[in-house]
Amino acid sequence: MSSPQDVARLKQVKEMEPLQDAWDRWSENRKLIDETSELLNDPDPTMRSMASEEYASLQQTLTESLESTFPTLLVPPSKTAHLSALMEFKSGAGGQESSLFLGRAPANDLEDSGIKDAILEVKGPAAYDHLRWESGVHRVQRVPATESKGRVHTSAVAVVVLPLMEENDSKSEELYNMSDIKLEVMRARGAGGQHVNKTESAVRLTHIPTGITVSMQDERSQHQNRRRAFQVLTSRLMDLKLRREMEERRDTRRNLVSGADRSDKIRTYNFAQERVTDHRIGLTLMNLTSVLEGDGLEDIVEAIKKHQDETAMEEMLDVD
Amino acid sequence: MAQRLLATLARTLGSEQAALELKWMRQAIADRTQPFGPLKLLARPPVLIPRPETEDWVIKLAKTLSPTVQKPINMLDLGTGSGCIPLLLCHLWPPGSLKAHAVDISPHALSLAKENAAFCGVPSTSDGSRPVNTFRATQASFLSRDFPSKPELDQVLPIDLLTSNPPYISWEEYLGLPGSVVNYEDPKALFGGPSGLDFYHSIARLLSRADLFRPNALVALEVGHQQAENVQALLRSTGRIVQSEIWTDPWGKKRTIIGRM
Repeated sequence: MSSPQDVARLKQVKEMEPLQDAWDRWSENRKLIDETSELLNDPDPTMRSMASEEYASLQQTLTESLESTFPTLLVPPSKTAHLSALMEFKSGAGGQESSLFLGRAPANDLEDSGIKDAILEVKGPAAYDHLRWESGVHRVQRVPATESKGRVHTSAVAVVVLPLMEENDSKSEELYNMSDIKLEVMRARGAGGQHVNKTESAVRLTHIPTGITVSMQDERSQHQNRRRAFQVLTSRLMDLKLRREMEERRDTRRNLVSGADRSDKIRTYNFAQERVTDHRIGLTLMNLTSVLEGDGLEDIVEAIKKHQDETAMEEMLDVD
Repeated sequence: MAQRLLATLARTLGSEQAALELKWMRQAIADRTQPFGPLKLLARPPVLIPRPETEDWVIKLAKTLSPTVQKPINMLDLGTGSGCIPLLLCHLWPPGSLKAHAVDISPHALSLAKENAAFCGVPSTSDGSRPVNTFRATQASFLSRDFPSKPELDQVLPIDLLTSNPPYISWEEYLGLPGSVVNYEDPKALFGGPSGLDFYHSIARLLSRADLFRPNALVALEVGHQQAENVQALLRSTGRIVQSEIWTDPWGKKRTIIGRM
């Protein structure tokens, strides 16, 4: 019979396996390098040539271990790795042009129409980790479809990416007390019941301690609006919690990505120059079409993740 | 055409609500469904469209009672309309814990309720292979003095739970109803007699028949906005109710009478 300590230790051992493997292979590699380097001075030229090739290959493996495999293993695993994402889009400065840009979002099934604001659920493990750095203001510089004189306009879309908590996620329950929630249903229904058949389904939740309010009226059922409102509230509270934790760890001190306020301009899309620039890491890609319609966004996300991992490692080495 | 419709709606509702209404109308024309709790139900005139007040108390009722497959219950829903009350309970309670029977006087309601049962995947009988909640519907008038007389009902009697959202609108009130109700919904599903209370009198008569109910049975009745006290008193006067309470709906109206026998 295993005790709780045994279970915890077993879990720890299991988690260390990849690191153990990497270490074993590295040690093996080092041993081979030492053996091979001796053969580099062998009298036999064939032997020397083979050893030389072998040595180069082993060095390459060593470099890879040191530059990528180990660092990746040393970065603490993400606590939010399993979470899906809730993305909120709000068209901002630039009015109609901003809405038209947002209208190009893949979820829009009405062609050539604007979207003022939208909520998108992106489900799947790592969705949140992948998309969280999209939070911030995205700036668009282009000649709008509605512009007759060909002038370039600048408009903005604000994006907020929140962790999407599953309904049965136990952590959701720790985020708030029902007694702190004020639930309001919109509009009086008069006598209500059989007397009225138009649906007044809008719902508004207020979380009193933080003042966060969520209004929901997308669905035709009050019950469904209530569920979605609670889902958004949970996401916002979880986001607040994660950001507080980041601040406590002083992650944000030197980090231009984590430290960005959601009202900061994080990226500019310049259509005339086919250019996308991420201002936090100073990355510019000269293929706007690829970013907006193809896989180009992946490159930016990868670059940001790499930046985050590097910063995390620097922090680990930072001894206060 | 959609633009003109949108403009017309906007004039009465304002542009934001108009856009929503248009979206819902498109949905309604395409799939003619009405959400009810986590369910989607088919809606078709002249059958009464399920109301959010009803949705609210049925969900509350589902949390009040806890039938299990080891201790299942039988229920009877009077005036079932679309079948919303028993079907939502069939969905929310564990499989094999509920045997539901529903009656309605209208053949339109009956066929819609049966369609909804199929739409929601609730069978009329269990084939024994795995636990399921079941739903059956029969035509009957529960105003009639000899109710229940149909042999089909014998299968579910005696019951643990009686539910109803019976017609409760009085004659005077009926005259004042909006066109959206009067033009599309069956007056027989709404009109509760001069006082609006006719159906509750029939239900009270039923309560007096101890043979229809199991010990500790529960009755849950939706009422009109000013009827709660009257209906509660009516139930109490049968002498069969040991404890009763009134539930308020999300709009602050006293909407449901719960009586325990």
